Amino acid sequence: MTKRATTHATFVIERTLKHPPAKVFAAYADLTQKAKWFGGPPEWTRSTHTLDFRVGGRESESGGPHDGPEHTMNALYWDIVQNERIVMSYEMLLGPTRISVSLGTTEFKPAPEGTTLTYTEQGVFLDGFDDAGGRERGTHELLDQLVAFLNS
Amino acid sequence: MTSTTHASFIIERRYQHAPKRVFAAWSDPQAKRAWFVEGEGWDIRSYEMDFHEGGEEKSSFRFVKGEETFGEETLFSNDTVFNEIIANERIIFTYSMARNGARFSISLASVEFSAEGQGTRLVFTEHAAFFDGADGVHMREAGWQELLLKLGDHLDKQGFGQ
Repeated sequence: MTKRATTHATFVIERTLKHPPAKVFAAYADLTQKAKWFGGPPEWTRSTHTLDFRVGGRESESGGPHDGPEHTMNALYWDIVQNERIVMSYEMLLGPTRISVSLGTTEFKPAPEGTTLTYTEQGVFLDGFDDAGGRERGTHELLDQLVAFLNS
Repeated sequence: MTSTTHASFIIERRYQHAPKRVFAAWSDPQAKRAWFVEGEGWDIRSYEMDFHEGGEEKSSFRFVKGEETFGEETLFSNDTVFNEIIANERIIFTYSMARNGARFSISLASVEFSAEGQGTRLVFTEHAAFFDGADGVHMREAGWQELLLKLGDHLDKQGFGQ
């Protein structure tokens, strides 16, 4: 029997973006836009990305390094307030193994420069496969990719 | 403008019953209903549970003192999705709470069961996002404290068999 263990953690990332909330929100709501920034590092193979952006809708994204295991994210949208808030829960799988379940809240607030984006993740990391520090670094990289997409 | 607050809490409990029996009170719809849904002051409108990974649990209940407290008939609803189920060891689920159709919180919860002597140590952890000043973590934690007491009473009433 695998030794069960959980680690609970919360982290918050705030970014100021030089674009209005409606534009930033659209980068999350529209699959064509989201597919351009949301995913693993550029050198990874991407296999699927589906998004049904509505309360009760799901998103699934997977990919991974050429010689490594598939990383899969399965999300469920719980609350959406246009241009203001998105709350979703998601699990991460490494190959067939579930490594975490998280609640992610993204808030978009108008700021003089454009938008203040605040992402709060509250998660449970499972059986020693992942940790909050790695997830926080990964999320920073995702938001860097979002900024690059918005600036492009 | 919407507002959101985030909070977490942990409750640890010990029960004089084996993990298998404590887990069964979460996995069996009739047993779960007895301690989780039924309660004084609540009029149950509907309850259904499909206990498997990806399955849903939905409950709807009228707060008997709704008119007096909120000035209108008040229905609460809980929509749950089970993210992970490991028999006798762990349950992870996400849920939303709504009052008269308006969502006021989204939560992620884990319940961990481990054997301790003849009994069970249960650790309940909840992470939540509360919307627009509603409810709040203290009330939520108090709610789960009470539910986990009711779980103990339910188990004690069932006796100490396997």
